[in-house]
Amino acid sequence: MELFRYSRSLYGGDANIIGASWDLFGWFVAAAAVFIVAHAALKFVTGKRHPEAH
Amino acid sequence: MAVTDVKNVDAPGRETGRVVRHKLVDRLYHWIMAGSVFALMGSAFPPIFGIKFEWLTIHWVAGVVLTVCVLIHIVRAVIFQDRMSMVITPTDVKNGVRIVKRSLGKDAPAPVKPGKYNALQKLYHLGVAFFILSVIGTGIAMLSKIDTPFWKRNPYWLGDSDWGYIYAIHGFAAMFMVSMVMIHIYFALRPDEWHLLRSMFRGWISGKEYKAHHDPARWPAENK
Repeated sequence: MELFRYSRSLYGGDANIIGASWDLFGWFVAAAAVFIVAHAALKFVTGKRHPEAH
Repeated sequence: MAVTDVKNVDAPGRETGRVVRHKLVDRLYHWIMAGSVFALMGSAFPPIFGIKFEWLTIHWVAGVVLTVCVLIHIVRAVIFQDRMSMVITPTDVKNGVRIVKRSLGKDAPAPVKPGKYNALQKLYHLGVAFFILSVIGTGIAMLSKIDTPFWKRNPYWLGDSDWGYIYAIHGFAAMFMVSMVMIHIYFALRPDEWHLLRSMFRGWISGKEYKAHHDPARWPAENK
């Protein structure tokens, strides 16, 4: 998986970066989902352990 | 509905008083910003994944709205609001250490109450500020590549490789914003944060919520 999108020259020149790779979009969504699930689980567990804590 | 600021919620008879958390102008800023961010995401990502429509006008207009909102917010925050309320302090760090220790099952004192914003909210604000300013800065540059009723395009003031980096920063910051918005909505919908969600609609939290969740010494509520 690449971090960037590249333009390829028809004449064999160097490839230029033309932007971020959109293949990463799902990873950003997944990272947020993992954070949310982890936080919710942590709050559930610590809420039971320290009911007085906010 | 009248909203009453209370200076000292410990005062007798003030238990049911309401504490202003977000003034109308700040709530308007938040919701206009939210609308423009959703318009920007909704006009940017679906076409990338194959849903074709005339996205460009929606995108640049929403971007200009967001830019104006953020400029007003910066001026207001720096000049008219308490700048320190969003600064991460040593107390926030100490609180964070205590929370981590307690989460890991170790003995630690309970974290002290925060001021108006807790450490996680301050960190979130810092992250959003960084990514929003990144998309705005690169977005303003990209406006020079399109014709609008206000200006004609001039795409030649940067070279191809420079434009590539501009687009890359814009794209990465936009994808980070997707993550940030998801996390923001999650926290807004958590039952233990509903008083904050309500305050973003109606402007106030109750005196009881103020006492339960905030340290008056770090966030003194003032009389109107």
